[in-house]
Amino acid sequence: MNVSVMQENLARGLGIVSRAVSSRATLPVLANVLLKTDNNGLKLTATNLEIGINCWVPGKLEGEGEITVPAKLLTDLVASLPNQRIDLQLSTKDRTLKVTCGGSRSSIKGIDADEFPVVAAIGDAPATSVDSRALREALGEVVFAAATDESRPILTGVLTKLAGDRMTLAAADNYRIAVRNLTVTQPVGAETSIVVPGRSYAELMRILPDAEQQIDITITPNKSQVLFHVEGIDLVSRLIEGQFPNYEPVIPTAHSSRAVVDREAFLAGARRASIFARDSANIVKVEVAGDGSSEVSITAHAADVGDNSDVLEASVEGQATTIAFNARYLIDVLSNLGADEAALELSGPLAPGVIRGIGKDDYVHVIMPVRTAS
Amino acid sequence: MRSILHADLDAFYASVEILDNPSLRDKPVIVGGDPNARGVVSAASYEARKFGVHSAMPLRTARRLCQNGVFLPGRFSRYNELSRQVMALFASYTPLVEPISLDEAFLDVTASRAAFGDGEAIARRIKDRVLAEIGLVVSVGVATNKLCAKVASDLRKPDALVAVPPGGEAAFLAPLPVTRLWGVGPQARQALADYGVTTIGQLAALPEATLRRRFGIHGAELRLRAQGVDPSPVVPTHVPKSVGHEITFDHDVTDPARLEATLLDLAESVASRLRRHHLAAGGVQLKLRYEGFDTITRQAPLGHQARESEPMYELGVALLRRALAPDRAVRLIGLTAINLSEAQQLTLFDAPEQNDRITASIDAVRKRFGDAAITRARLIGHRDRRRPDFGMRPDAPSDEREP
Repeated sequence: MNVSVMQENLARGLGIVSRAVSSRATLPVLANVLLKTDNNGLKLTATNLEIGINCWVPGKLEGEGEITVPAKLLTDLVASLPNQRIDLQLSTKDRTLKVTCGGSRSSIKGIDADEFPVVAAIGDAPATSVDSRALREALGEVVFAAATDESRPILTGVLTKLAGDRMTLAAADNYRIAVRNLTVTQPVGAETSIVVPGRSYAELMRILPDAEQQIDITITPNKSQVLFHVEGIDLVSRLIEGQFPNYEPVIPTAHSSRAVVDREAFLAGARRASIFARDSANIVKVEVAGDGSSEVSITAHAADVGDNSDVLEASVEGQATTIAFNARYLIDVLSNLGADEAALELSGPLAPGVIRGIGKDDYVHVIMPVRTAS
Repeated sequence: MRSILHADLDAFYASVEILDNPSLRDKPVIVGGDPNARGVVSAASYEARKFGVHSAMPLRTARRLCQNGVFLPGRFSRYNELSRQVMALFASYTPLVEPISLDEAFLDVTASRAAFGDGEAIARRIKDRVLAEIGLVVSVGVATNKLCAKVASDLRKPDALVAVPPGGEAAFLAPLPVTRLWGVGPQARQALADYGVTTIGQLAALPEATLRRRFGIHGAELRLRAQGVDPSPVVPTHVPKSVGHEITFDHDVTDPARLEATLLDLAESVASRLRRHHLAAGGVQLKLRYEGFDTITRQAPLGHQARESEPMYELGVALLRRALAPDRAVRLIGLTAINLSEAQQLTLFDAPEQNDRITASIDAVRKRFGDAAITRARLIGHRDRRRPDFGMRPDAPSDEREP
């Protein structure tokens, strides 16, 4: 096999697939990237057994072949080369990849491609398609709310429900939940629900182009894997088995007070309060003044440190309410919410707090409060 | 002028043993456990102290020093019971009782003087009644602040009553060694010795600028203390700053799985005590002592306030995996809940009532039958002898001592 590619294209491809390379591989071959010739060019593949990424690099191909080489070594080498033509030459006999670029010649010892796990190419027709940019935005408002600790594995995933022309994404970590709806471009036949690991979606967000491009979503019939395909790239993810908690009943349908605040100002206030809240369990208090007033204040108090208070301009309806939150949850939603103004809806100090974007009916975020002594 | 008492039961655990078994009177009684095993002395009677035995000393050393010592394992529920009686007696003189541990408390009797006489008279009454009604000897220091009262009670133990006259605080402290002051440990003692300072009086005379240079902001504080100034109030409801447990292994442990199982055990006890105090932890501290006694502590915040064992255990394990030096044998492991508050993060999906009922039942069984009565299946056969932490600092009291 002889392949000629441009350094820029190869570096980009390696950058994409190396996200799936196992950093602490139990199998040595998982630290490698698979290079294989196929009809669409040079195919690069990496997997950590949870996700697998294929990326096709355009180039001139002669003959067939495949090999795996250490991903980090190849990525670092290619990154160091000038943006010129790179010639890759595979010698199957001694399992070595020769890399030539201008006057630079390297050879990299590899592992047989046979030892590399098969990253499934899911052949069936896609379940649906969705606009790349819309999906990226939606994921950005949801994925951060998924749990990162493994005590309840189902909560490390993002519920992805397809029904008609609607896709619903929901993520929760038992203290907060984010739910986002978006429209798919190709209506779904049968209603389907899968739970995609939050980490897989985080990788997908990095790969998705910020452009109006279609992304095809295909689910294996046994619901064990999902494939996202966008021009030149596949991302395959394992799915999480189990029942996602029924979240609909925990989303409040009414409220006793509501404040509309500038999102950036609210975020800045929460950030400042969190500096003071570090030593007091990250707890900040949000006080919504009652009807007729136009203030929301965020305060933090740490016995040995001091205190801080930010008063925000707001339009307020309903009763005066004071509620305590973990500052991190406020910061997370306010920094990811795609709206200029945020509405905070409360129903008392121990009831879930709701955050929505103004002019944005497709999103709801719920944060559970902290019960404090005072 | 305030009137503050510091009351401290003499050789408390050992005295309780003698109280319940008078044949032990005049014998060197050492509470802590089997002298041939690992572990340290929890308390030593004054007879035993004559041999050089003191608390926190390894039991084996105590045995060597005191061949004829009576070594007892300790009956913490009994100590608790008597401690409650003593504290209740204190409370009959003032509502402002701040327990520091099972055997020690500060009392602010400023407002009680009209009814009972001056601080010294109240101290006398308390000493007489604790002996007559409970059968224990308490040493009491009387002063205008907590610092001097504490130093005073400790000065002529056992059976002491030392009163520092108002205005005489600095003179009272002046001849005493600097280590009597809160916050002066071996390092500060050494640093002060460099200036030729060994007594509190010499420390009080050092220029503030010198102390600031050497000790930073604590320098000024140190000087005030040396002059006998301590404005800290007696805080009646004692909220612990941390709640911890630790285990000294009978044989050094290298198996990480064994250490992790032990952490689960510790996390359960710590969580149970947090719940009893209606507190939640904002972070966890792991303590490891290797063979050869070098000790490390590592701490990290929990994502949210927790009073259940699982998140504390998981964070403890994460800290352990990061901190544990490979191939080094561990002698002691401890887990402490830190950044305590009464705040509790509410949850979306758990039925809190159900979880609370389970943990409440576990707590009730433990309270009645002891910590070992109910445990997780994976801990069966893995439980080690454990002690609550004894890391007592007068200015930051740890939780009360319990089994």
